[in-house]
Formats: sequence, structure tokens, C-alpha cells
Amino acid sequence: MKKLMKIILQFIKKIKIGDLLTIFIFIVLTGYLASILWNFPQGEYLKIQMGKQVIGSFSLNQNVIKIIEGPIGKTEVIIDSGKVRISKSPCTKKYCLHQGWINKLNQTIVCVPNQISISIIGARTDYDSLNY
Amino acid sequence: MHYNKLILILIFFLTGCYQNETMQKKDYIFGTIVEVTIYGETEDNATHAIDLVFNEFHRLHRYLHPWEKSIVQDINQSIKNQEIYTTQDEEIFSIIKHNQELELKTHGYFNPAIGKLIQAWGFHADQFATDRPNSSLIDNLQRNLPHMSEINLHNGYIGSKNKNIQLDLGGYAKGYALDQAKKILRENNINNALINIGGNILALGLHGDRHWVVGIQNPRKPSPIASIILKPGWSIGTSGDYQRYFIVDNQRYSHLIDPNTGYPANNSQSATILFPPTESSGTLSDVYSKPLFIAPERLKYSLAKELGIDFYMIVMADGKISISSSMLNLIKWHEKIDENNITVH
Repeated sequence: MKKLMKIILQFIKKIKIGDLLTIFIFIVLTGYLASILWNFPQGEYLKIQMGKQVIGSFSLNQNVIKIIEGPIGKTEVIIDSGKVRISKSPCTKKYCLHQGWINKLNQTIVCVPNQISISIIGARTDYDSLNY
Repeated sequence: MHYNKLILILIFFLTGCYQNETMQKKDYIFGTIVEVTIYGETEDNATHAIDLVFNEFHRLHRYLHPWEKSIVQDINQSIKNQEIYTTQDEEIFSIIKHNQELELKTHGYFNPAIGKLIQAWGFHADQFATDRPNSSLIDNLQRNLPHMSEINLHNGYIGSKNKNIQLDLGGYAKGYALDQAKKILRENNINNALINIGGNILALGLHGDRHWVVGIQNPRKPSPIASIILKPGWSIGTSGDYQRYFIVDNQRYSHLIDPNTGYPANNSQSATILFPPTESSGTLSDVYSKPLFIAPERLKYSLAKELGIDFYMIVMADGKISISSSMLNLIKWHEKIDENNITVH
């Protein structure tokens, strides 16, 4: 036990400011990565499409605003830790805004005039295509 | 020794990549989203076939467009001018003929000659109307309701004495395109595929060792109400009031106009039918969902029987579900459905 203490004391004596900095950066980085990536595999994603083009899939575990440029203007999508809505749209009817928040697998909001569709996807859906 | 490890790691990653059994392409055609998925083909074969299919979709979109430059618009213009349209194009003759038969079979609930009514309701635009049309205009158009049978087809000539005829094949084109896609894929030896044109879906073959599965949209929620398997060659079509519609004074006006009243049908939220494989099963799954949506409730079930529709599900205006027993056997609910809200036929 004394031996162990001695080793630790020797180690602390040897530590330089650079070592401390490295340890500090390591801890911060680990904490930061854990905070954004921890729920990633179980969590779900938001798929955004403009017409035929997939704009991308984004984790739902974040708070961001995405702006997508469609044929008639800019559609604004809010991702708010686990839930999503369209917050601004250039279309006349604003049906997409009235859909409100979605947060469950396979829920979809489509803005036909601006050709934007956003859907919540998981790692795997339980059907191949949607009849509507 | 180190190489062995490297190879093991490579194998691990490569098997991870080899998950791409399907190839999919999406596009925006016919005013809606079109999606073709091919299973278990080499990338070259699949890409080639998908390109051919999408070329055909683009051709049909231009060919049958109801309100932009197309052969349909040219025919409408000559009927309006009381001229005879001359063409050697056999395809348009067979399409018009088929539409004439379908109007008769559906007792006029499917009537593609009423383009003027659909236009008056504002559904001939990429952005729909925001207001009701003048009721005297609608009543007038309805009183002079044209019929497909009034179009005369004769050896390269198309004409009609009825100036009120305005062809609108919007309820036919997507189903027809499904059947065309089916033909093209088969000619190119693609045996396993799923074609989705604005929600009308046709399945070819299988998805690997299982059937293709499609979700059925809940007409009032942005999520599926159920899912169902599509056996090889089967197709599914839905007519609903939740994609093309507008709301004025809390009243919903959908694009599905009842020819008998001139007004949008409002007794249902959606009518979904499943159709077994025939040469024109894609077309029929698109066309036959309309009479089931539009017809009054007391006639829906006898109409389904008469048209040979064994698999159907209708969500009524009050949210209650009428479903055929054969459909109920196949369907898998994604929502909790109250038994009191289901009627089995």
C-alpha cells in the first residue's frame, strides 16, 4: 500500500503542465463526444428530402434549425431534442406548419408546394414503401 | 500473421457494406413523388432498368398532362373547337377506349371527361385554389355532364359533338404508368421490384425471402395506420381526401369530385384497394379506388362486389373503418383500433 502511494507521489511530481493539459483536453473531449453521441445508436434520425434529392439524415438528439431551399423558397425545420416540426414555409396553405411536432418512427410531414418531405426514420423501418 | 488480422478486419467491414441488396431511385413526376426499388440485382442491371422506367414516366407525364401541352390537351382543344383530331398514335386510342369501358363499369363514378369540373374546383394547378367556385358554375357544369361514350374513335380520328368534354386522365395515368413500368422491368429481366407512384404501389416478385410490405397512411395523421404484404404482382391504390384538397369555413374540399353532384365527395376519408395480378392491375388499383371513395355508403359494397374488388378498406368521414374480411386477414394494424369502429364485410 505504501509502495503504491509512493509510485503515485512520484508520478504526480513528474507531471508537467503539458501533461495536465493533455489530460484536461482528453476529459473534456470524452465528455463532449459522449454528450452528443451517447444516444445515437438507439435514437432515431430525421430524413429530409427535396423532391428526388435526399438532403440528409440528422440525429434527433440535438437542437438545430435546418433551412432547405425548395422551388418556391426556404422551408425551416426545427429539430428539438427528439421532436421535429416545420417552423417556416413559403407555401400558401401552411398545412405543413399545422401538422405540428412529430417524434415517432415513420411520421412524415410533406410540403407538396415546396417539394419538401421530412420523415423520422430508425435504423430499420417495418415496411418497404408507403401507400397514401 | 499480421496480414491475417488485416484480412479479418477487411472481411468484417466488407460484410457491413454488402447490406445494399436493394437499389432505389426517387423523382418528382406526375405532380407527386415516384419511387422505384429493385431487389437483388447487380448495380448495372438495376440502374439500366430504373433509367428506362423513369424515362417512360417522364414521357407519360408529358403525353397525358391534363393542363400543359400534351396530346390530351390537343384533343381537348379540337373538341372545344368542334374539329376532328387526326392521329396515327394507337396508344391514345387504346387509352381512351379503356377509359370509356371503365366509366361504364363504374356506373360513371369514374368519369375522366369531367376536366371542366375539376378545373372549376381549382385542381388544375400546382397550387390548389383557396376558395370555392361559384355554385351556379358548378351546377351548370354538372347539369351538362359529359360522358366518355360521347367521344367517337374511328380509324385515326378522334372527335365529339359534345363541347363540354374535357379529358382529364389524372385518375388513370399513375396506374397506367405502373403497368408500363411492370412491362419494362419484366422485359429487362428484373423480377423483384416495388414501384410507388404517388402512393399507388405495384410489387414484382419478392424482397429476398419475404414479401414486399407497404404501409397504409392514416388519412388524418402523418403516420401509417397499418401495413400489408403485397404478394408478387399485386398492387395497392388509395383514394384519399388528404393530399389534394383545400379547406374553406372548416369544410374540406378534396379533388375527388362526385360526377352525380358536381361537388367533392365527402362521405369518406380514404378508400384503399388491393388488386391481384392481371395485365392492367396497376391501372385498376388506381381507377377502382375512386368509385369506392365517391359512391354513397349504401352502394360502396355492392359496387366493390360488382367490380371484383375482394380486398378493400374504407375509412369513413367519421373515422370508422369498413373493411372486407379478406383484407382484414392480411392487414397488420400499427395503431390500436377500437373494435366498435370496425365493420367487416
